[in-house]
Amino acid sequence: MSKSLYREFYKFRHEKFTWIAPLLLLIFMIAISGYISARFLAVTTCDSTDAITILLVIMGATMFSMEFQNNAILTLLYKSRRAMAVYLNKFIIIFVYDLILHVLAIVFTFTLAATMRPVSWLSIYQYHQPLVVNMFLTTGVDIITSMLIISIVFMISTIINSNAVVVTLSIAVVFFGEYISSSLLANHSLLTAWVKWNPLNMTMLTHQYVYYAGYHETTLLTDPQITMGALTYILVFFALGYLIFRKKRF
Amino acid sequence: MLQVNHINTFIGRKKIVKDVSFRVNPGSIVGLIGPNGAGKTTIMKTILGLTKFTGKISVENKSVTENDHGALTRVGALIEHPAIYPFLTGLENLKLYSLDEADMNHVVSLLGMTSYINNKSKDYSMGMKQKLGIAIALLNKPQLVILDEPMNGLDIEATILIRKIIKQYAAQGSAFLISSHVLGELQKVMTNVLLITEGKIIVDQPIDEFNRVSHQQFRLLTEDMPATEKLFRDNRIPITKTDNYLLIARDQSYPVQDILYSHHIRLLELSPQGLNFEQTIVSLLEQQRRQNHEK
Repeated sequence: MSKSLYREFYKFRHEKFTWIAPLLLLIFMIAISGYISARFLAVTTCDSTDAITILLVIMGATMFSMEFQNNAILTLLYKSRRAMAVYLNKFIIIFVYDLILHVLAIVFTFTLAATMRPVSWLSIYQYHQPLVVNMFLTTGVDIITSMLIISIVFMISTIINSNAVVVTLSIAVVFFGEYISSSLLANHSLLTAWVKWNPLNMTMLTHQYVYYAGYHETTLLTDPQITMGALTYILVFFALGYLIFRKKRF
Repeated sequence: MLQVNHINTFIGRKKIVKDVSFRVNPGSIVGLIGPNGAGKTTIMKTILGLTKFTGKISVENKSVTENDHGALTRVGALIEHPAIYPFLTGLENLKLYSLDEADMNHVVSLLGMTSYINNKSKDYSMGMKQKLGIAIALLNKPQLVILDEPMNGLDIEATILIRKIIKQYAAQGSAFLISSHVLGELQKVMTNVLLITEGKIIVDQPIDEFNRVSHQQFRLLTEDMPATEKLFRDNRIPITKTDNYLLIARDQSYPVQDILYSHHIRLLELSPQGLNFEQTIVSLLEQQRRQNHEK
């Protein structure tokens, strides 16, 4: 397990994109900071949530496509005691990277606030909490949302070998998922009580946390419900992805 | 070392490997030979626990299953393509799997890769990539090395070098299971031959024995060759036609004399015909195909 995890980490740190992604994130955050109110910028870490998701989608899809290229997966699999170790280790690496990107987003936000868009971090903002607490909680919630997206990316990656197709499909889930889910829920029907638990609805977790009034009407779920839903779907997609990975013929 | 007992491998509903059993002993170099689609790569993947199978596979008395590769700790393999990551250098690719840096450096120098091992592997030629794939398989002093078409893309010097290295490792106790379509090359290193067709093993013999006894044929000349040929076909005796003779298997030499005698066809010549390795393999595969067809 440790050797297998080391292999994943070794490949990950030698990927150029691993080091380019934080720079892209910083550029995006600087670019967006001129267009939104200072307090909203602080809460959403300069609206970095979507940018981080896209970076993670690209990274997650690449983690699998590089294995299918040249059939490197064969060596990786027989050198690992179990297929589960290969799949789980990739998930662990991307989870750690997710944490790092979110920590960097917080650091960049503090830096930008100190230099370009000053805010009072202790002033009370949403949920009767100080702005700084709002920011940390939004980050925590966004880590759950991004891991939900990653579990979907991993599952798609085990089905489709093409990196480009996986990235396109996953980004479609990120951007059109909310629209599809809200369209389904807009037609109030007897099935609404069930449809509101669809996985695409859970991708709205971060947005709902930041703007509850606007999004609760769409998702029809409370914050704890949507959080539990997202956590459950992370497990479901992880398990499905692993099962497909195990059954896949290389 | 490696023990394969009655394995069957399926792809979808199709049985690709059919009740295959064999052993690979320490220090032996087993050549896995067969036509395209015979099941060679599938057997190799099955040994590495990469496909679903029934039967039993063990390495050093430890079982290999699809869900537990613990027995493969000291097994190296090159299957289909060299398993390399283009964004890593050759050395970084090796480091991924190496457990001993001194051994890794030894493998690099043995394969003559020192001058380019620190270059990105995406810039390697096909032969360089192949050597890197073989280097990965030879890491960590393996007890068993499985090589699928190892000579692919190698120039003559590299081919000779790899042949030498295989013999060197085998002399130190490593066992090899090698598949190759370049029979001439395989013949120069292998100690045992494993011939497979349509998922079944039809020959499993030490190479000396294979060359000496089993597959020698007899050439036959009679006073009426067209009638002889028809007679043999009617009696389902496998034959191969050459310019002037018919070739028959060694074990058919007595039955054919009886048949000819009973049909009053005079036998002019019946003598051993030495076949080279390739001809023997082709002839055996032809015989097997004919037998399968007749069934």
